[in-house]
Amino acid sequence: MLKDITLGQYFPGDTIIHRLDPRTKLLLVLVYMILTFSINGFLGYLILAVFTFGCIFISRVPLKFVLKGLKPIFVFIVITGLFNLFLTGGDPVFHWWIFTITKQGLYFAAFMILRLVFLILGTSLLTLTTSPIALTDGLEHLLSPFKRIGLPAHELAMMMTIALRFIPTLMEETDKIIKAQSARGADFESGNLLRRAKAMVPILIPLFISAFRRADELATAMECRCYRGGENRTRLHELKYTKADSAAWLCFLLLAALLLALRFLPWTGGGAAL
Amino acid sequence: MIKLKNVGYVYMQGGPFEKTALEDINLEISEGEFIGLIGHTGSGKSTLIQLLNGLLKPTSGTISIGGRVLGQKGTDMRALRFDVGLVMQYPEYQLFEETVAKDIAFGPSNMGLDPKEIEERVAFAANMVGLKKELLSKSPFDLSGGQKRRAAIAGVLAMEPKVLILDEPTAGLDPAGRDEILFKIKDMHERMNMTVILVSHSMEDIAKLADRILVMNHGRVEMFGTTDAVFQQGQRLSEIGLNVPQITRIMDGLKQKGLPVPGGIYTVEDALRVLIPILKPEGNPLC
Repeated sequence: MLKDITLGQYFPGDTIIHRLDPRTKLLLVLVYMILTFSINGFLGYLILAVFTFGCIFISRVPLKFVLKGLKPIFVFIVITGLFNLFLTGGDPVFHWWIFTITKQGLYFAAFMILRLVFLILGTSLLTLTTSPIALTDGLEHLLSPFKRIGLPAHELAMMMTIALRFIPTLMEETDKIIKAQSARGADFESGNLLRRAKAMVPILIPLFISAFRRADELATAMECRCYRGGENRTRLHELKYTKADSAAWLCFLLLAALLLALRFLPWTGGGAAL
Repeated sequence: MIKLKNVGYVYMQGGPFEKTALEDINLEISEGEFIGLIGHTGSGKSTLIQLLNGLLKPTSGTISIGGRVLGQKGTDMRALRFDVGLVMQYPEYQLFEETVAKDIAFGPSNMGLDPKEIEERVAFAANMVGLKKELLSKSPFDLSGGQKRRAAIAGVLAMEPKVLILDEPTAGLDPAGRDEILFKIKDMHERMNMTVILVSHSMEDIAKLADRILVMNHGRVEMFGTTDAVFQQGQRLSEIGLNVPQITRIMDGLKQKGLPVPGGIYTVEDALRVLIPILKPEGNPLC
């Protein structure tokens, strides 16, 4: 059951998308998110779809894997879609009992679903093609200008790195403890809510104890190696912008120009007509 | 009693990190046997014992234990787990109750036994692993490492399983603690006619305790035979990252130097038995 969590899951590879600088990828995903919400026509989404699936294809991450990221928020997408479908006022096209579907509602629901789907696909592609370490490295760099106003960029990145680093370890640990307690006949599946909650105690107590123990050991190990935070610290892998990053920015600029033209230029009809 | 037929296990089947852990395992273990399970790290030992306990389901082949077929519809997996007790690696990390006694009672109370029986079993299991009575009312987190290990093993023993599987029960213990726990396991095996499967990296312990040895290599059964049959193949064992007991190597060395010692010596006790008569007549002051 723990294998289904894809949060921050990295799909190793050596494609141009994997090699992009994490700072570039983080910023581009930000741009991508803004673009996703600025589109208001189906032609725009078609272009975005071609671009997104093109990127997925280049990254060599199996499509099945990327789409798996949609599963946990499927219910959320459906509910958002239904809300937009039934609660948008406008020209009615269908009416039954208290439910009224309007033309505008249909448009809004479709847009909202598409936006959420692309949002997830884009961000999934970021985490699938960037190792957690590179990701936090990039984040630290991007946040470092804010150090002047007192933001502890290095410490934040360190905390994130450690947290991400321990996700698989703790999952493994949980798995082990669940197995050990099942071997002693623990039953996690039957009974009412209270019984099930109580059945979690034999898992949670050993898990917490081991998490604290690990934290303690890690702190000692870091102290032993004279870790003193970000001041004057050099790194093993320096982040460097390459030609690939410029190319990626160029692609995005073209995409943004195309999509914004579709939205704002008068002769395209605002895009909504299509 | 335990029968495996063409058993295979693949982790994360179909995913990008798919890994074959076991392939084509065929085994038969009869009741009351003491099996030593050896193999280098990642050879599939842990996967195999988890299959025997029903914690993992084989991706191919069939496993039957005492007439129950694992994974088949209608097989009560919990009942199976009460019959096959599994002590995992570093079992002390599974302790969670307020007192040692309550923790040992976790298994038996999951079996639905009545309180009196549970109390008896707790006392019996604690005695079996050599935990003193006054420790039973302490918090398991106040015990020393070796005592925690014993408490955890007692937790499995209290279920009185027919088959007891131990995954490196002595890892990280001091020599005295190690010998005592192994002695207790052997004792239980003899007194309760329990089938025991012991995973260990110590060839010495295996040589001392096991009736038969199962050698795993890259997810397959490399050898399965008596202590003699397995340790005679020292060459092959070292090829797959294992070895024969130290004393066997010493005896082989002595033999090469011309001392009239027999082959097939796997324990220090046996070595002493043959060496003393050889060395004594010459008036060796060391003997």
